[in-house]
Amino acid sequence: MTVENTPLLDVRNLSIGLRDRDGVGYDIVRDVSISLYPNETLAVVGESGCGKSLTALSMLSLIASPPLFITGGSIMFGGHDLTKLSASEMRAIRGAEIAMVFQDPMSALDPMFTVGTLLTSAVKAHQKVKSAVAKEISLAALADAGIEDPKRRFDEYPFQLSGGISQRVMIALALVNNPKVLIADEPTTALDVTVQAQILERLKELKSERGMALMLITHNLGVVASVADRMVVMYTGEVVESGPVAEVLAAPHHPYTNGLLGAVPRLNSGTTELTSIPGRVPQPYELPVGCTFADRCDRSIDICTVKHPVLELGTRTDVRCHNPVD
Amino acid sequence: MKAVLKTTILMLILLLASSLAVFAAIRLSGGDVTAARLPASASAADRDLFRRQMGLDQPILRQYITYLGDLLRGDLGNSLTNNASISDLAVQKIKNSAILGGMSLLLVFGVGVPLGMVASLKRNSFLDTGITSFSVAGMAVPNFWLALISIHIFATTLGWLPSAGQGGFKYLILPSVVLAAEGIALTVRMTRSAMIENLNQDFVRTLRAAGLSERRIYFKHVLRNSLLPIISLAGLRIGQIVGYALVVETIFGWPGVGQVLVNGVLRRDYPVVQFFSLLLVFVVTMGNLAASIGYTLANPRLRK
Repeated sequence: MTVENTPLLDVRNLSIGLRDRDGVGYDIVRDVSISLYPNETLAVVGESGCGKSLTALSMLSLIASPPLFITGGSIMFGGHDLTKLSASEMRAIRGAEIAMVFQDPMSALDPMFTVGTLLTSAVKAHQKVKSAVAKEISLAALADAGIEDPKRRFDEYPFQLSGGISQRVMIALALVNNPKVLIADEPTTALDVTVQAQILERLKELKSERGMALMLITHNLGVVASVADRMVVMYTGEVVESGPVAEVLAAPHHPYTNGLLGAVPRLNSGTTELTSIPGRVPQPYELPVGCTFADRCDRSIDICTVKHPVLELGTRTDVRCHNPVD
Repeated sequence: MKAVLKTTILMLILLLASSLAVFAAIRLSGGDVTAARLPASASAADRDLFRRQMGLDQPILRQYITYLGDLLRGDLGNSLTNNASISDLAVQKIKNSAILGGMSLLLVFGVGVPLGMVASLKRNSFLDTGITSFSVAGMAVPNFWLALISIHIFATTLGWLPSAGQGGFKYLILPSVVLAAEGIALTVRMTRSAMIENLNQDFVRTLRAAGLSERRIYFKHVLRNSLLPIISLAGLRIGQIVGYALVVETIFGWPGVGQVLVNGVLRRDYPVVQFFSLLLVFVVTMGNLAASIGYTLANPRLRK
């Protein structure tokens, strides 16, 4: 694996908040920094509602605004801060530079148009080409996404496709303009287990073939272990731990990461019981002063409920914890 | 194909049932059929003679069978009041009503859909509130009242448009707008809510992520999805126009089917009422059939 030192996409101290008409509200994503390098797969892990999807959507300016707003930080890409681009500048980047694959492919494709129409529209949104050329490009993208007979699928409607094929069409739709960054938001959650593995394998291959940066949002640690190079763990809208997958999974430093790993069933371990993390995730409007994980944490010490921990930058992994696991 | 055959058979049954219903209803509604044709001074014997000549002294069931037989042979009979051939009458009246109804239908969708789109695009703006308020008013106001008020304003007071009758395009404006008003209002609301609902669908986010322009997403993808409910309820709009035409044609003196039918009922002109009522039933069923065919064609799930 070759990882270059300049990030392709650099999210710096990003905060996203929910605001009402008078500007009153609270932040859902706080101080998130994520760097994406060419030819690497970054996994973003966390429970539902931890802000991982929102962070991803903000990279394409696709957050529903209002009521959501970027309240701080920057998203640097190609020398520009994406948070400051106009709508039309952003449109030129979507799909062409940064593309996204969503979960639940069955509802994410417009039911009224054929696969071919959807793909060629995407091509023509960015490239001034004749229809025949757009069709060639689309067929190639379908083949690239691992679809066996692209010509047949080209003329089919989304309702005629299985979940796995739909997701491949989504991937083709994302790849059709050769983006540098591909964000996949739980791309396999809605699919059968066997299909999941095929799709992930294909995504991994595509990343290598094209030297793309792949950001994979998931809550499946098995997927992380098999596909990703680096990982970021998010909790209550913050990054609590990040680092190379092998190291984070082998020796998690944050008690939350540790808890997540304990909740994963393993075939070859001696233990028969799965551990669970006690308590519940606090809502964004009721976050405590100290560490947001403190009242669920078995390593909580006095300072945890008083002072909010900062993300300590280590040589290999970064951890946001007053009393990390060694 | 099978569905079309099934619908056709159902339509024939419906037409048969409504012919019986209309036949019975007009006879049960009382009144004297001779009053319109014979002078007030006519004797009871003259009136009996007239009834006999017209076959109205026969048992009702036999009258119905005779009527059905004539209808199947294409003999629509003559008006009881002026002996005019109903087939001759029908051609002109149907043409007039088709002009009025067609214009109204055009207004319902030609005005309703674009206004609904504007309202959904400028959601919660001043313009949206204006359009939505107008459409609420359009649904609440009864068309006979709207007809009278519009005659008062545009014909009597301003003198811009004729109040009644048939002539050039000018004569068509008031009746067709009044006839279309409720349909426009309903179509505006339906278009607006369908557009807003579809704008929040997952597929819109996918298209945005692919870099399609907002205009293209809105006018191609969201609109296309929103047309489905509008088409599926087009049959209802047609039925509404047919029903309201009775009132509107009468008020505006528009010489169409509605006017003939209303006059026919008032004079107990059985053959006229029977034929034109059946015609309306036929038009409404055809409208519904056309709407369901349109829906099938517009929906790839059903087309394939």
